[in-house]
Amino acid sequence: MEPSDEALCERVARRDEAAFDLLVSRYQERAYRLAWSILRNAEDARDVSQEALIRLYETAGSFRGRSKFSTWFYRILVNLCLDHKRKHKWWKLWVRDDDDDRSNTILDRQPAPVNDPVDKLSREETLKALGSAVDRLAPRQRAAVLLRVQEDMATYDIARVLKCSEATVRVHLHRALATLKKTVEKR
Amino acid sequence: MARHPETDLVPYLRGELAPAERERVARHLEECPDCKQDTELLRDLIGNLAHFVGQPPEVNWARYRAELHEKLEARRARIAWWRQPTPLALSASIAGVLLFLAVWGGRELTKTPDTIGPDEIVMAQDLGLLQELPTVERLDLLEDFEVLRNLDGLASDHQG
Repeated sequence: MEPSDEALCERVARRDEAAFDLLVSRYQERAYRLAWSILRNAEDARDVSQEALIRLYETAGSFRGRSKFSTWFYRILVNLCLDHKRKHKWWKLWVRDDDDDRSNTILDRQPAPVNDPVDKLSREETLKALGSAVDRLAPRQRAAVLLRVQEDMATYDIARVLKCSEATVRVHLHRALATLKKTVEKR
Repeated sequence: MARHPETDLVPYLRGELAPAERERVARHLEECPDCKQDTELLRDLIGNLAHFVGQPPEVNWARYRAELHEKLEARRARIAWWRQPTPLALSASIAGVLLFLAVWGGRELTKTPDTIGPDEIVMAQDLGLLQELPTVERLDLLEDFEVLRNLDGLASDHQG
């Protein structure tokens, strides 16, 4: 039987390299994808997700098993992403972010196009607008939405990742989705 | 009608609400067409958002793990360097110097300043003169009289 994440984390705390490698292989893609969804930059996402895995190695001993391992790890990751966004906010005001991947992701990665060109245009415009609206959400709202839709996390777990109450998460989700809904309704 | 359960709609759709709360929201949705429409829109939005967010660019995972291990090694090496005797001794020495400066500086600051400086001593010696102030004033007056007395002489000097 495959060892649980929690059991592997205990072994990592005892500096078991094989357990660490196994946890890395389980979480590297999810960590990178979530970091990219929040940061919208492949290089930053790679750096931040790797940093989260290093922190996992360094602080595995502080995992007490009160929450699921995934919740504990996502807290490290999301905090790093939010810190990264905060630190780079002033810089992005001055420098145009040419490496930013947001311009070509929403449309390029959509499922097969619709046959009707008018429908297609309208759909593409809606997707583009929605993608921009997601990018404009406040960082914590965006993190809450992404944890919900990408990681399928429950409100309780999102609250633990964002270190806030469930009521606050509900408000974050409500506000974020209301903003996105308005974007769709305008189209 | 009760307040609109706006913030409860997402947990309702995910089936996270407690039975009583779920019942309350369901009853509200039956009575409120606006909230019912909102709920349908939210359901579609949440269902499709994962597509809107998209997928990140591809990553070479072997390289990713190699980079990760390099970074981890670098971090370990940095920590190990700090734990070596030389940096520890150096840190201890710097801390000692800083502590000495702090204590010495503190003592200097707490020293009471000299109440009588050399200038004050000179002034104090001159204090005797002040006791003779009326005489001194009179001397000034006598000096003025002298000027008056020699006023003719001064005028002739000026003309000559």
